Parts: sequence; C-alpha cells; structure tokens
Amino acid sequence: MEIELNSRESAILEEVRRFLKSEVTPELLAESHHLEYIYGGEEGRKFVRKFAANGWLTPCWPEEYGGLNSSEMLMYAIRNEMAYARVPIHFAGAHMAGPSILRYGNDDLKKNYLLRLASGEIEFALGYSEPAAGSDLMGLEMRAADKGDHLIVNGQKTFNTHAHVADYHWLAVRTNLEGPKHKGISILIVDLKSPGITIRPMITMAGTRTNEVFYDDVVVPRANLVGEINSGFKYIMAALDFERMFPFGHYKKFYEDLVAYLKTVTRNGMPLTKDPLVRQKLAQLEIELEIIHHLYFQLAHMLDNGKIPNYQASMEKNFLTDFEQRLANTALEILGARGQLREGANGAILDGLPEWLYRWTVIETIYGGTAEIQRNIMAQRGLGLPRA
Amino acid sequence: MNYSLNDEQKILKDTARSFFTEELKSSLVREVEEDEQGYSRKLWESIAEFGWMGTIIPEEFGGFEATFFELSLILEEMGYAGYAGPFFSTVVLGALTILTAGTPEQKRSVLEEVSLGKRLMTLALEETGDGPSACEIATTAKKVADGFLLNGCKRFVPFAHVADTIICAARTGDGGKNGEEGISLFLVDRRSQGVSIEVLNTIARDKQCDVVFNNVLVSGDSLLGEAGEGWQLLQGVLRVASVAKCAEMVGGARKVLEMVVEYAKTRKQFGQPIGSFQAIQHHCANMLTCLDSSALLTFYASKRIGQGLSYEKEAAMCKAWVSDSYRKLTALGHQVMGGVGFIDESDLQIYFRRAKAAEQALGDATYHREIVAQLMGL
Ligand SMILES: Cc1cc2nc3c(=O)[nH]c(=O)nc-3n(C[C@H](O)[C@H](O)[C@H](O)COP(=O)(O)OP(=O)(O)OC[C@H]3O[C@@H](n4cnc5c(N)ncnc54)[C@H](O)[C@@H]3O)c2cc1C
Repeated sequence: MEIELNSRESAILEEVRRFLKSEVTPELLAESHHLEYIYGGEEGRKFVRKFAANGWLTPCWPEEYGGLNSSEMLMYAIRNEMAYARVPIHFAGAHMAGPSILRYGNDDLKKNYLLRLASGEIEFALGYSEPAAGSDLMGLEMRAADKGDHLIVNGQKTFNTHAHVADYHWLAVRTNLEGPKHKGISILIVDLKSPGITIRPMITMAGTRTNEVFYDDVVVPRANLVGEINSGFKYIMAALDFERMFPFGHYKKFYEDLVAYLKTVTRNGMPLTKDPLVRQKLAQLEIELEIIHHLYFQLAHMLDNGKIPNYQASMEKNFLTDFEQRLANTALEILGARGQLREGANGAILDGLPEWLYRWTVIETIYGGTAEIQRNIMAQRGLGLPRA
Repeated sequence: MNYSLNDEQKILKDTARSFFTEELKSSLVREVEEDEQGYSRKLWESIAEFGWMGTIIPEEFGGFEATFFELSLILEEMGYAGYAGPFFSTVVLGALTILTAGTPEQKRSVLEEVSLGKRLMTLALEETGDGPSACEIATTAKKVADGFLLNGCKRFVPFAHVADTIICAARTGDGGKNGEEGISLFLVDRRSQGVSIEVLNTIARDKQCDVVFNNVLVSGDSLLGEAGEGWQLLQGVLRVASVAKCAEMVGGARKVLEMVVEYAKTRKQFGQPIGSFQAIQHHCANMLTCLDSSALLTFYASKRIGQGLSYEKEAAMCKAWVSDSYRKLTALGHQVMGGVGFIDESDLQIYFRRAKAAEQALGDATYHREIVAQLMGL
C-alpha cells in the first residue's frame, strides 16, 4: 500500500526501514514482547536511543525539541513500521504526554522534558485510572494539596502500566474539591523515585504487568505543574486523543506470518490455504487490514490538513481492536487444538504467539477508552445523536 | 418437551451446587491450575464419596445406574464451580467407552474401581489436534505372540499423566475406506514400559498431554471390543462426550453471566451503575441469549441421550453452537467488567481461557457443523 509522502520523507521512511532491519536483535524482540511493547526495558532503551537520535521517535515535533518538522503522515508511517518490526511502540512520554507538554506546557517544562523525551532518554507512565475512576476520569479522587511552591499528593492509582519501567509519572490529581468536577483536576509531572511512592505489580491474564501506585505525602515542586492549575481535564482529553492513534503493523506482521505458516501445513491431503473455509477467513482478514490501513492513515491526513479527527479516531481504535480479536480467534480456529499451546510448549505454533494474542487482545477494546465509550463518541460527536 | 427437572434431579443438582460452592473456592481453583497433578486429591475423594464417578455405571459394578442426563447435571455444576481434574476423562472418556465396548470381564475389573474413585482413566485418540478423525490415526498395534505392540504419538490427551488406564486407539488393520476400518481400542496401564508422557503448556493449563507409545507391549485381553471396530465403537462415545463438554460449558457460562451482572449492578461510573448504560445492557442481554440457547440445546441433547433416543444430530448441533456461544459470552463478560476482569485475580479470566480449550476439545464448531451437514445429507 502506498503512503503519500514527499521525497524527503520517503527517503526518511526508507532509512527507518533499513535501520529496523539491521538493528533489531533477538534480545530486543524478546524483551519487547514480554513487556507487551511498552517502552522502558533495558534493551528497548538501548535501541530507542539510537533510533531516536535521528529524530525518528517524534518526527512531527519542531526541530528545536528534537523533531524533524515532518508531516503527521511520516509520524504515522514510522510508528507503524516500528509496530511491524515488533519493537516497543507504546511511548507514554513521547507519544502521549509529550504532545500535551508541547501544546500546554510553559517554556521551562518544554526545555526540561521535550528533548529528553524525543531522544528516548526518559519515559513517562500514564497515571489516570483509579479504583473508582476508569471510564469516568472525572471521578478521580487522588488529592494534591497546594502549598504554594510545592504540592503534597496522597492517594492511589491503578492500572498504571509503565510505572515500573518509567522515570516520571504523568499524574492526574484533584486540586480543587469545590465546584464542577472537571474543573478541579490538574496534571503533575512526578519523579517516580520521589519518597512516598510505592509501586505494586498487577499481573494480567496475558502474563504482562501493570501496576498499582500509592502516594503517601509525596512532595511535588510547583514547577512540575502542567499548564494551568485545575485545567487538567482538558489536557487529559487531549492526551487521550493522542493515545487513540493505534498503529496496526504488529497485527499485520502476525497475519503475514500466519498466512506463511498455513501455506506449509497440509490437512486432509491438501495445503490448508486451499481449504475453501480457511481461504474465506484469510481473505476476510486481508480486507479488514486494508480498511484499517485507510482508517489509520486518514487520521494523519486530517491532521496534516488542519482538521482534528474526532469520531474517526474512535472508529480507528474500535475497528482495529475488534479486528485484533477476530484475528487471534480466527488463527486459533484455523490452527485447531495446536493453537492453544503456549510459548515454549512442545509443538507451539509461531512460538505461541497466536495463543498469547488470544489472551492479550481482550484488553485492547477496554483500555485507552473502552469500545462502548468510543461508540458513544462516534454517535454523539460524529452523528450528533443526543446524550442519554 | 418438558423443560423442568424432576424432584430427584433437582436434589442432585442442588447437592452438587452446594458441595462445590463449599468445597471448591476460587483459591482452590487457582491452586489446581498451578498444581502439577492438575487436581485436588482431597476433592476427588469427596466426589467419590457422593458416588458421582459411578453416575452412569450399572449397579452391578458399583454405580448408580442413572442416565447421562443426571451426569450432565453434575458436569454443569462442575463447570459452574470451575472444577478441573480427571473427572471428565475418567467418567466420560474412560468409563463410557468401556460401557460401550467392554466385555463383561473388562467392565467388572475396571468400572467398579472407577465407581469408587480408585481408578483414573483417559482416552488417547487425537494425534494432530484437528479434532477427532479416523484418518489421522497412525499409531499402530502389531499382533505379537503374547499380545500387541503399540507404537505412536498421541496429542492432547487429557490427564494422561495421572490416569491409571489409558484407552489407546491404534491401527491393527490397514485402514480401509476413510481410514475408519482397522482401528482397535486398547486398555493400557499408564505405568507400562515404553509409555512416556509430557504435560503440555496450554491456554487453560488443563493438563493435556503428549503420550508416546514406544514398543509398548499389552496383553491380548486388553483389546477393548472387536479388533478393527474401534472407530465405530467410538462414534457414539465421542458424540455423548461432546454433549458432556457442553454441559460443563453451560455451567461456566452461567457462572460468568452471574458474576458479570452482579458487577454491572454495583460498579459505578459517571455517577450510576454501569448496568444502567444501554451499551452494557445490550452486552448482558447478548450474553443471556448465548447462555439460554446453549442451555436449551444441551438440555435437549442430554435428555435424548439419557432416554436412549437417537442423538447424533442433536449432539453435533449442540457442540457447534455452545463452542461458539461460550467463547462469545466470556469475551462479552470482559467487555462489561473492563480492566479488572483482565487481571489475574479476577475469576473471569479463568473461564475465558477455559472456554477456548472447551471449544477446541472434541472438535470445534466448524468440525461439528460439518457433521450436521453430513447428517442433513448434504
Ligand atoms: C492492562 C491495562 C493497562 C492499562 N494501562 C493504563 C495506564 O497506563 N494508565 C492509566 O491511567 N490507565 C490504564 N488502564 C486503565 C484503563 O484505561 C481502564 O481500564 C479503562 O479506561 C476502563 O476503565 P475500567 O476498567 O474502570 O472500566 P469501567 O469504566 O468500570 O467500565 C466497565 C464497563 O462499563 C462501560 N461503561 C462505562 N461508562 C459507560 C458509559 N458512559 N456508556 C456506556 N458504557 C460505559 C465500559 O465501556 C465497560 O464496558 C489500563 C488497564 C489495563 C487493564
């Protein structure tokens, strides 16, 4: 599939591809997989620093902050190449917090964090969710008391995925108890090594790790407040929009590997890929991947043309994450009982990736805004349907 | 059709429900998944005290002589509670096969011990993992002076690592049409020389095994049923076993729906219970449809089997439908629960993983729809 880029950007994308081909090691792949493609592991850091030194991690940022001033299209294309190569792809700092700092941060924050984010030197963890605040982030309860030159934070976060590998927390806290809820939230940048922070693992069904994070009288300098105090909800919403750009390369690669594998298998005396039922299923996935390609790059196109994607971002997230579940399930259907073998098991196919994806993709329609919330957005913002 | 249970059946079901509620807490379900044996010996012994291993075994062999329908009620409760262990492999794959194919002598020597919970069994059938099929059976049984020599590799054999007796399907003849002729069944002592077993690491951690038979010598009287007719003998067993698997799945589905609806009523977001959002209501309604449709097909097929009526098509329809429905139901359950259902500590994820394994066991929906097509004369 063609991606429309100018000649300078096409050359960059080619370079990125070459780099990924030559620099990705088995150790990096293994670490990346076991961290479910989040950034912050040792191998990942080694790799990304080299990668990011070219400005490739944040190509659409201004040059002074470590970018290439490129189009969004190039940014989307590079992220998708990274996903295809199965290197870390979830950058809470460079791709979620960073753009918000760029938009809302003061000069000091920009100077302090943007270059380090763009070079992959530091990583953030997203600290939004709390036990009582999942889809409804206005329900946040973690408190930050304003002490003038610093704030004192107390409370609990849950599902903070990068927290055990990251350097800083991108933390949403309640700074005002009076008035409407969405006008009492602020965003703080907190050094995760600050005294009073405890991080506890939460292990998922896919064997991956997310975290509970506890704050006990944690002191945060006022300089680490992002934008205006009590305006945090606006920044969260913006950062969530960045989060919703879900690349599909990882799943495309899995699909290609699956098809290649199935070509080598015979059942009832014929190659599996000649079985009409299997062909139907694979062809359907091929079509869906084509749609995802367009849904994804359309977002970049809109941004490059000065439009803000709203329902389109939700649609892309939903279509892709639903697709992932269909892909994993279809793989297991075609593979039969062998598909249920885990990594390392005798006879596991594609090293157990089908089985792992089957467990993993469950969460894709839930985090980053659930499928229901995305559909609400599509119906209300996209179609103008009334709220309940 | 009468859709209700009679008094005895109600008592049986209630007893099983309260027994498992009491004895099989979530913590034990988890322990068992991690356990190498894959079951709790203590629980096994308590189940044996109820005599449930002997549900369908004739009284003369120490059983209850109830019908398959009663067994399906127990299996449903096991599914509900998240039971994992060699009950299914022993009672359904093992005892049922003996009941179908064994000589009076074989029945006497095996079934009484099964009834008492003193003998664990399993069936070594599949080799490729594409669903039970005669043509994939390549394991051979060569006639020798003092019996047969077994050679071959079986895959996805449940609980072979703890079974006392493995029923092995192997070729004594040359296969004939579709490879359905010439298959014979043998009773093999798991501890025989030449048997090696490896537990597979699967999505459900359900102790399915690779079993290799390397020049395993079995005596002449370990042949089960007529030589060469093993596949025909197994046909009925496999269909019944499929429905038995559905009963477990229906139990699991019921538990998941209860768990999820309870959560939807209590979890609040945006100031209201999430169950008040139509999106969530629709998920729950779809789950309910998955459950009720599955329960009805399973009920009907189990009843027919219990009453000695023909059941081939009903069984295949049942396994085809329930395999898909249970998977969908657990996936919807995750969607309703949100992040917490994905964490190891939630029981939902256990049912989700097992739904996939149950779907694959004894042939998935595609496999059984093909049987339906054949039975339709297509
Ligand atoms: C593995 C993992 C990693 C995560 N990583 C992070 C992270 O790094 N940082 C972070 O802050 N959070 C993270 N999360 C949290 C994640 O964003 C939340 O789980 C998600 O937003 C959903 O919230 P919830 O789980 O509380 O579900 P709930 O909000 O309780 O939702 C439960 C159900 O109700 C539905 N629902 C809720 N409101 C509505 C409505 N108005 N209309 C219709 N349906 C509704 C939901 O769609 C869902 O189906 C992670 C979660 C997981 C499991």
